[in-house]
Amino acid sequence: MSKTTATPSTGEDILGRVEEMQRDLDGSYRDEIVEAIYQDAEAITRKVVQTGETASYPWDQKLDRIVTSRIWGLPFMALLLAVVFWITISGANVPSAMLAEGLFWLGAQGVALFEALGMPWWVTGFIWHGVYRGLAWVIAVMLPPMAIFFPIFTILEDLGYLPRVAFNVDALFKKAGAHGKQALTMSMGLGCNAAGVVACRVIDSPRERLIAILTNNFMPCNGRWPTLIILATLFVAAAFPPAFAAMAAAGSLVLIVLIGAATTLLVSAILSRSFLRGEASSFTLELPPYRRPSILRVLYTSLIDRTIFVLWRAVVMAVPAGGAIWLLSNIYAGGQSLTVWVSQWLEPVGRAIGLDGVILLAYIIAIPANEIVVPTIIMAYTGAGMMIELDTMAELRQLLVVQEGWTLLTAVCLMLFSLLHNPCSTTMWTVYRETKSVKWTVVSGLMPLAIAFILLFIVAQTAYWIMGLAGW
Amino acid sequence: MTGIIVLIALGVLFLPQYGLYWRYRRRRWVQSRQAVEDALAHLHQFQHDGRPASVESLSNTLGTSTGHTLILVDRMAQMDLVAVTGQGMRLTAAGHRWALQIVRAHRLFERYLADETSVPREKIHAHAHQLEHTVSEAQVDKMDADMGHPAFDPQGDPIPNAAGDMKEIKSQKLVEWPAGVPAQIVHIEDEPPEVYAQIIAEDLHPGMVITILDISSVRVVIGTPENEHVLAPVVAANISVREAPIDRVEPSGVPLTALKHGEQGRVVALSPACQGLTRRRFLDLGLTPGVRVERVMQSAFSDPTAYRVRGTMIALRREQSDLILIDQGTRQEREITV
Repeated sequence: MSKTTATPSTGEDILGRVEEMQRDLDGSYRDEIVEAIYQDAEAITRKVVQTGETASYPWDQKLDRIVTSRIWGLPFMALLLAVVFWITISGANVPSAMLAEGLFWLGAQGVALFEALGMPWWVTGFIWHGVYRGLAWVIAVMLPPMAIFFPIFTILEDLGYLPRVAFNVDALFKKAGAHGKQALTMSMGLGCNAAGVVACRVIDSPRERLIAILTNNFMPCNGRWPTLIILATLFVAAAFPPAFAAMAAAGSLVLIVLIGAATTLLVSAILSRSFLRGEASSFTLELPPYRRPSILRVLYTSLIDRTIFVLWRAVVMAVPAGGAIWLLSNIYAGGQSLTVWVSQWLEPVGRAIGLDGVILLAYIIAIPANEIVVPTIIMAYTGAGMMIELDTMAELRQLLVVQEGWTLLTAVCLMLFSLLHNPCSTTMWTVYRETKSVKWTVVSGLMPLAIAFILLFIVAQTAYWIMGLAGW
Repeated sequence: MTGIIVLIALGVLFLPQYGLYWRYRRRRWVQSRQAVEDALAHLHQFQHDGRPASVESLSNTLGTSTGHTLILVDRMAQMDLVAVTGQGMRLTAAGHRWALQIVRAHRLFERYLADETSVPREKIHAHAHQLEHTVSEAQVDKMDADMGHPAFDPQGDPIPNAAGDMKEIKSQKLVEWPAGVPAQIVHIEDEPPEVYAQIIAEDLHPGMVITILDISSVRVVIGTPENEHVLAPVVAANISVREAPIDRVEPSGVPLTALKHGEQGRVVALSPACQGLTRRRFLDLGLTPGVRVERVMQSAFSDPTAYRVRGTMIALRREQSDLILIDQGTRQEREITV
């Protein structure tokens, strides 16, 4: 082996040559490599791919013209949202009632069985009235709307409509210093905020991704819908004739979502002008052609990936929460249950923001899963020490309005609180996993809570003041 | 009375610069790795530029008192990193090696931040300055290899390789360049930040080909194919240029935004102002020279516009479309060449 050869022969020689050549490369060599790759790809495509007539997209283009139209684009979006909610609400009613009936019947059998076996009362109570009823309520309330909402959502996604939404509203996000794809993560958040936070990975820029993560909570998720739907039905729909009730409820939900979207934009704008200052980064969004959704895939994605996943999470969280409620209501101190003690202590804070102590207690217990807010409130009010079964909306109305004196103000404040308050523990855990930062996780929890308290305080105090003026 | 005593005590402790707390903080800093490395980088820079480094220049750069700087220099001399002679300070062989290592880490980080993240240009230097003290030599080697051994940082400064060799480009200051002769920017000085900010505002990048249109003691006017830039002479002095390569003519074309609804054009080039992540993304999408682009639709708020490229529809904001230069006119003849 000679040491000096014209052509490099050993590994080291080759590396040396590479080093030498690298130093002579112009900065634009990456461009040239990409160009070369595309040229090769084009050459191969020309050889092996046959296309028919020049591709044209008449149907696509017509649809796109409406969907992204300056006049019709946004109303179409709102209308579509309303229709989705309407289908979800009216479609979920019957199966929810049936599920509730079936599961509570099963619970009654369980209680009978335990009593027949001679179990102590507290074992029966904890397992069947606490844990099981929490579980039953979550399944009955959540499963039907999710099994309707997620497939519709997946169809829209599969169809290619969601990227058009991002395309339409990007200008608003740009003004807020955020990324248009945040609209995608927000629509995902309508299903589940934890899923929405994970979806923020589609945003490249770290700054804009963080904004999207921190504000995802302002989209009401499935867990909060039961609360919103019940309130919309009890207080909004009740004011309309029965024929329009579902539509009015859907309309008020759209309004809530719009308030959530406005809050998202506002908070994003504030963040990107203060703690997360920076320029809007590059935005490229692919708008895929419209496709006929494949039914099997839609069902699989929406039912297995999303519905079952979210439901399982809710169930896992509801079990300890159901147990906690039962314990709080059945442990007595000084002649009062712990529930009463805590809610009395929270009462002044609750009143100041238009709610009451029981509602705040319910939200604290429901940190693991927002789904159980309503059952917890009912349980605390009835003092039954268990989540009781309320068959009809009329009974619920009787309890909340007549017995506990809820007003329209309570309903509005509760809806706003439900929309704005801190995310559930799963979402916060997801925020931590995505950001790897304790600081931002804490911010993602406390910022919405602070916003909720401040806004509700203003709303409630203004309302009290006006009512005082009017002499009510 | 107690209030006054507390105030005085607080003053003694926390008075900016002179308070005991700040003295303690500076003392700790002087003893840190960062202080040594910053001093090494400074000495290396001065030595490289052929300027004599002194305790004063070092205190100015580090922002420490002369006393602290002396302690630092003493410590570095004990570590055999600097030799103090009659003329001033010189780096020893070991000091030189370490200094190159820091320069290498700093410039690699700058390259990385510019290419792979959306950290804005004016913040890259400060970020890299923080990061450069956190890595070991082995980590720097790995970064270098993972990034494909880049030769220059985003300002055009050469990045040393593992052996410490740098590819220097002969250049001269823009203000000394003859007017009317095309020149390529090879280096932009990123300090002081105030001057660098003005260069960023004009969107000038290394690699761009420019021509001096007018030069006087109060202003320097330079032209690029798309624009004219007016710079103060102090600002222009921070730009270095060399003769423009003959084969590299700056692409001339109109921005993509010039297309009207339904019109087509061919990409001529991506603007030199389009760098880093954005450029990478555009290339990934297939926006290479010669490709046909058709404007398809606008969004409801009219800003992002959708273009059809290689059979897919891609939405771009106005700022980005401006970075893509196209040729609208001679469509027919170029059809054949691609």
